[in-house]
Amino acid sequence: MREDERWAGDPSDQELVHAGRSGDDAALGALVRRHHAAAYRVAVSLVKDDDLAQDVVQDAFMKAFKALGGFRGDSSFRTWLLTITANEARGSLRRRARRHETALEDAGTVASEDVGPARAAIAAQEAGRARVMLERLPEKQRLSVSLRIEEGLSFKEIGEVIGSSEGAARVNYFHGIRRLRELME
Amino acid sequence: MNDDMCGTVREMIPDAVAGRLPTADFEIVDRHVADCGECRAELELAQLVFASRPRVPEGLLERVLASAGRSRPQPSHAWWGLSAAAVAALALGIGLSSNQAAVAPVDVPGFAYEVEEGDIWVSDDGLLAGAPSFDDLSDDALLQLLDELSVTTTGGSA
Repeated sequence: MREDERWAGDPSDQELVHAGRSGDDAALGALVRRHHAAAYRVAVSLVKDDDLAQDVVQDAFMKAFKALGGFRGDSSFRTWLLTITANEARGSLRRRARRHETALEDAGTVASEDVGPARAAIAAQEAGRARVMLERLPEKQRLSVSLRIEEGLSFKEIGEVIGSSEGAARVNYFHGIRRLRELME
Repeated sequence: MNDDMCGTVREMIPDAVAGRLPTADFEIVDRHVADCGECRAELELAQLVFASRPRVPEGLLERVLASAGRSRPQPSHAWWGLSAAAVAALALGIGLSSNQAAVAPVDVPGFAYEVEEGDIWVSDDGLLAGAPSFDDLSDDALLQLLDELSVTTTGGSA
């Protein structure tokens, strides 16, 4: 059996984490396959730059795996990884802002307003327009909407990722939806 | 429209648009939005958000897999139970070996660690301080301990 086929069934994240701690590379690979897309969506939602988002995802997985020995499992691996990803993304924005000697807000705004030809074509469609409007929401509202709809996280899990309570995550989500509806009208 | 029902349906809308809802619950949402314009508008908006989720770039998976192979899990804080003298030696060793490469900090959520809050703190000089305390040691005992560790003090209070 090939090493990457050993976890080809449907093992739980907990089983994969346990095996990964013991040095099972195939288990770590299965965790990457399972969660890299969600991590990318969180990263790109925050940094609004494809190349930077890919760097963030790579670094987030590396940090998560290095720290896997201390992962207690109070939250799910997915929530833990997405929290690391969000922290890494914010760190990348801060480093980029320092490099360009611009404010953090400017770094995000420039990218979100950067409407190139390809992006404009997508924006011509309603879904693309919804994405553009979503990117205009404040960070916590934007992440709450994305994590709830796209990743299916509970409000408790969203709270862990955005650093707030379950109630605050719920409020951020519904405020975000309401604001998004206003922007789309 | 019944506000309670709207509240229930609005909670289910994200899972409905992503296909994560059980069939019975999906039918509840379906029936409700047929008569409720507000919830239907929210459902349509959620469908747009889900449909527009960013596509994962080709090659990202392979790139992350390749880097994951270089990042082995590190052992948890097994050293936590070390004796006071060993911790002191470790702390002083860190302080004295400034030529060695610094270990990059791992930025992970606090709730992920096995160490309970209160068991660890960061001292003003940036060194990790552990549970063993030297508060009860007299100056003489502390100097003797430093002497045993072959550490040369250059003045100032210990």
